[in-house]
This record gives sequence, structure tokens and C-alpha cells, in this order.
Amino acid sequence: MTVPAASALSERVSASGVEPSPPVGRRDLNTKKLARLGWAFSAPAMLVVGAVTIFPIVFSVVLSLSHVAITGNGFVLGGFTLGNYRALLNSGRWRYDLGFTFGYTVVTVLVELIIGTAFALVLERLQAARGMMMALLLIPWSMITVISAELWSYIYNGTYGVLNAIVAPFVSHPIVFLGTPVSAIIAMMVADIWKTTPFVTIIVLAGLVMLPDDLYEAAEVDGASGWSTFWKVTFPLLRPTLALAVLFRVLQAFGLFDLPYVLTSGAPGHATESLALLGYEVMFSYFQFGPGAAIAASTALIVLVVCLAFLKVFRSQIGSEA
Amino acid sequence: MRNRTRVGWRRWVNGVNLASLVLVIFVMAPIYWLVATSFKQPAQIGAYPPTPIPLHPTVHNYRDAFFKYHFGVYLMNSVIVAVSATVVVLVLGTLAGYALGRLPMRGKVPILMTLLMISVFPAIAIISPLYLLLKSVHWLNSYQALVLPYSAFNLPFAIWILRNYFLGIPKEMEEVGRLDGASPLRTLWSIVLPQARPGLFTAAVFTFSACWTEFLMALTFNSVDAYRTIPVGIALFGSAFVVPYGTIFAASVVAVLPIAILALVFRRSVVSGLTAGAVKG
Repeated sequence: MTVPAASALSERVSASGVEPSPPVGRRDLNTKKLARLGWAFSAPAMLVVGAVTIFPIVFSVVLSLSHVAITGNGFVLGGFTLGNYRALLNSGRWRYDLGFTFGYTVVTVLVELIIGTAFALVLERLQAARGMMMALLLIPWSMITVISAELWSYIYNGTYGVLNAIVAPFVSHPIVFLGTPVSAIIAMMVADIWKTTPFVTIIVLAGLVMLPDDLYEAAEVDGASGWSTFWKVTFPLLRPTLALAVLFRVLQAFGLFDLPYVLTSGAPGHATESLALLGYEVMFSYFQFGPGAAIAASTALIVLVVCLAFLKVFRSQIGSEA
Repeated sequence: MRNRTRVGWRRWVNGVNLASLVLVIFVMAPIYWLVATSFKQPAQIGAYPPTPIPLHPTVHNYRDAFFKYHFGVYLMNSVIVAVSATVVVLVLGTLAGYALGRLPMRGKVPILMTLLMISVFPAIAIISPLYLLLKSVHWLNSYQALVLPYSAFNLPFAIWILRNYFLGIPKEMEEVGRLDGASPLRTLWSIVLPQARPGLFTAAVFTFSACWTEFLMALTFNSVDAYRTIPVGIALFGSAFVVPYGTIFAASVVAVLPIAILALVFRRSVVSGLTAGAVKG
């Protein structure tokens, strides 16, 4: 039952992928000229992207493998070393931050996925005002993270925060939400979930709208309950959409910086310190560019691995592109 | 909409409406608090229990943001940087997107895949080498220190989006232009580009809002007040001991307004951009 619909879906996706190869026989001088033109057209963009991303990434790896000394107007590389990475592995702070960033990513993405999907299922059934709801969802999405961090720090404030006023009837004394490690981590996750769940909702809703109607009719005729319809019909068809939402969110969450920088500064202690926050502090407060580059490069490596793993999923979606 | 909603629709609709209401409260409650606080008197902002609505609303905080702090400067800097980067991205992205979508080049797939990966790379990975590079060419504390990296980070997405739109335009239209003896650049400008208008909107809205909200690079590369953008300015308002929430929120309302309006006006573009990966591949 699911087979025809699934193949229809993959057909539609691949149809919008890469253009078919040009008809044989017209591969002449003109084609060659156009190819050269193509390179000329894309050269400026690739130059900018290469200069600002690919080159620094390579440079970052070199830095992380070198003794780096900062001088008055620059820096000196003083030979190859694995010391920067060894220092990381020996640092309890780095290990904690790695674990924290991982755990934070897994929990927030999972919660956002569940709530986001639930909201999307609700909105899909909404008869009126769907456009208005969509507009509403875009507000947190378009919010500057720094601002939402300031806003939540005001809400969580231990002396005059509105959250304390809300929970006052249930607790004996005001809570300093950002004061203990566990509550600070949860508080930060809530702020993150508030801002990014709408993003998941929008993506999932778009995926839901594209699903073929006839399958649901069949499921209804079979007398399937809403719950089993979701798990047996909706979820499998939605998996590619969900995978993509997860990929984007995981990569974003792993680079977590703005929120802890403003909301907690990594406090209490280093309980809410992400890898990016640590890397920033090591590089720009301690001016240790070698170890800083090691943190950055290892973070990038983890991201790359996640990316490649997901690319497999993604590629099978695109179809014959590879 | 679908047939299954017909079964006991009354119960369904009530449930849906209730859940939608929860969603509205979930999204809007913090926003309400932001706006309400920005209009409160200083004494009310630090009061406990907090007053639910601003009694005697005032624009005092807004005046402070602009005159006591340099919010006007940050606003101006953000506009300059975001607009410049958006223009660069649109021009370079159109050329590259057209080439990768329409011209017979080799190695398109590796290029596109590389771009895709770059677009999701965490900024922290490149921040220190880029800082050292900008320092060595004396570009720290300047507009180009941000315009260049912002352009680079937003180009991949713009190229993907525009390429998808170019792919959907009938080839015959270009042929006509070519037969008329128009140069490829002229064909792109007057025949292809007008058809890809929605793609241009999407790329522009995404680039602009990414530049408007970016924090890490702005914080690192431009440490002088005169070149700070809005997110950095707002993050550094006040001191370690006093957080002037009223001023911060007033500035925040002004900062969020343009981007929220942009998102609402170009709602279709934004949604199509967000779902481009999911829907178009």
C-alpha cells in the first residue's frame, strides 16, 4: 500500500534534482564555450566562499597542529606538535563541554522534534487562520538569539523574574533558576526550544501538506485509529522531512554560542559551557590560538562526520544526482 | 480538509482549537513580556511581583536606548552590513546559481555538495584563522570585516535556492534570447532573472536576516563601539552589575521589528526557503 506513494514521492523529489544531460550531438564548440562561461560566472562566488571558509578551515587545522605564539602585530608558527590535542584530551573542562554539547543537542533536538511535529499535526487540521498561525511561528524564528537570551534572563531572574511570580504559589521561596547546574541547563534548553520549535513545525507542516491524501482514506476505510495511522502511514512518509529538520537542528545546536554567552556566560561554574563558548574563551580571552584551534577543528570534525552520515540519507533522497 | 476530519469533526475541531491556543500562548507570551516591559517605568521593571501590564506606559526606555546608549549607531551599522552583504550575495549567487543550474560545467555535483556542507559549518571553526587574517590585512573594526564573511556564509544557500529556480525556467526562453544575438549576461539579466524573482526574494530575506542576527563574528571582529552591530550592542549594554532591561528591551523591539515585518511580508518566500531542502532536495 505504501509502495506506490513512496515511489511517487521519490519521483517527485528526483524530478526537481539535476537536469537531464544535454542531448547527444550538440556537444560541440558551443558547449565548451558555455562551460568556460560557467566557470567564469561561478568563480567570484567560489573565490569568496573559499577565501572565508575553506582556506580558514585548513588554516585552523594547521594552527591546531602547531606551536603558536602571538606577537605584537601577528603570530608565529613554531613547528609541528600534537600537544594542543593532548591538552584537550587531558582537560576535564573540555571533556565536560563535549558531553554537555552532545547531551544538550540530543535533548533539545528530540524535544523540538516531538513538540514541533505535534504542533504541525495540529496546524494541519486547523480549518481557519492557518496563514496567521504560520506568521506567528515566524516571529521566534526571526528573533535575534541575543535578544531572546536577554528576555529569558529577565524571565528567569531570581529576584524579580516573572517565572518566580508564576510558580510562587507552589514553592516556599523564590528560585534562582540560573543558579544551580541542573536548573540552569533546563532553563537554557527551554529558551532554545521556544525559539526553534517553530522552525521544526514549519518544515514538518510543509512535509505533511505534500503527503498523498488517498493513503489516509485507505487507512480510514481500514478503521485504523489516529495513533496507528500516524505511526504506520504518516511517520514513514515523513521520515525524509524529519531527517532534514534533524540535520539542520543538530548542526545548529552543536555550534551553540549566542545563548549561553548572554544567558549564563557558561555559569554556574562551567555547567552550561558549550564547545563553541570554550573555544571562544580560550582563543579570545586567554589568547591561546593553538589549543583554541584544536577545539575548533575537533568540533568541525564532529560536525563533518554528522554531516556525512546524514548526506547518505540525503543523497538517496536526491536520487540519481551522484 | 481531509475526509478523516469529518468523523466527529466537532470534537476534533475543539481539540485542534485548544491545541492551537496553547501554541499561540507558547509563542506569544515571552514576546508580550518583551514588548510590555519595554514600555514600563524603570521602577516597575525591577518590581516584584511584576505588573502584568505597563501602568503609565512610557517611551523613556526608547529614548535611553538612542541617547544614553549608542543604539542608533548599532542600528546604522547593522543596516550597512546587512544590505551590503545581501547585495553581494544576490549578485554573486545569481551568477553562480545560473552557471551551476544551466551551463554545461563539469563537477557540478561535488561543488554543490561542498557548498551544502559549508553552509552548515559552525562559525567557531573558522573564527580564529579569519581573525588572524583580518588582523594581518588591518580589516578588524571595519564594515568589510563582516560583509565578506557574511557573504561567504550565505552564498551557498543562495546558490542552491537560485539554482533550483533557474532549473524550473523553460530552456526555450533562453534559446530565443541567444538567437536574437543577446550576450549570456544580457540573457540572464533580462530573460532568466525576472522569472526567478521569488528565488531572489527568498535568498535576500534569508541573507538579510542572517546578517541582522549574527553574533559571534560581529563580536570578535569588530570590538570598537563605532562598528558594533545590533546583537553585539545589545549583548554589551550595561555593566556586569547593572543590566538595564528596560533599555535592552526597547532596543530589542526596534531591532526585531524590521526583521519580523520582513518575515511576515515575505512569508511565502521564507517558508519556501525553510522547506527548500525538504521539498526540493
